Amino acid sequence: MFALLEGAGFARVKSAVVPRFRFRKPSTQNSAEAFGVKAVMMTGQKPAGGKSQ
Amino acid sequence: MLDVAETQASLEAVLKDEILQMYQEVADHPDAEFHFYHGREAARLFEYDDAWLARAPEGAVASFAGVGNPLLRAAIQPGETVLDLGSGAGLDGIIASWLTGPTGSVIGVDLNPAMCLKAQAHAAAGGTRIECHEARMEDLPLPDASVDVIISNGVINLSFRKRRVVEEMFRVLRPGGRVSITDIVCAKQLSQSIVNDPKLWAS
Repeated sequence: MFALLEGAGFARVKSAVVPRFRFRKPSTQNSAEAFGVKAVMMTGQKPAGGKSQ
Repeated sequence: MLDVAETQASLEAVLKDEILQMYQEVADHPDAEFHFYHGREAARLFEYDDAWLARAPEGAVASFAGVGNPLLRAAIQPGETVLDLGSGAGLDGIIASWLTGPTGSVIGVDLNPAMCLKAQAHAAAGGTRIECHEARMEDLPLPDASVDVIISNGVINLSFRKRRVVEEMFRVLRPGGRVSITDIVCAKQLSQSIVNDPKLWAS
């Protein structure tokens, strides 16, 4: 997702893990961890004079 | 034999049904238990301000199904136009509309027309207004450069065409506009059996 935002032209892209996110069921949480699934918060900005699609 | 485009279109159609069913279930039965946290419990987990939760209509809070809090870093200002991508039952949009105030506006987009109606009703009950469009996030029904801020909470991961979604976000934002998204990402390549299973993808 980070790469997609940058690839589309967004600037100042930042991401951070949502610290308290988890699945309710332990079995789902375990599977999610095995696949590296996590919730992230991402921000970015369309350049003021910027690239257009 | 189906070609790749036909296969993807077919999977997308099934996925749309699974997504509609999953989130309709949360909205219709907020007291049920799902594999993800939802409702007030989830909103508190993700640090939604207690004052917001006290002020928001109970239905909007109970049906909340986000994966974080995109409002924390959205820095929404009075007078701005905000797009809530995948607006669901409306909690994020309602809070955004309180932040934009009467000189701003909030536009919701949701795949499910029933959720759009629900979000608008919740907004009215919360003393504000959301203009909600039934649409796919891959084809936003908005003009170029018409939005100041885009928020989204746990829906972009549901799309098979994430690049297209992000391009649409870029298109509708005004120059200098910003996005604040919370979503699920996966560090490992999913197996084809998971990718091709709309029920797993939707959940």
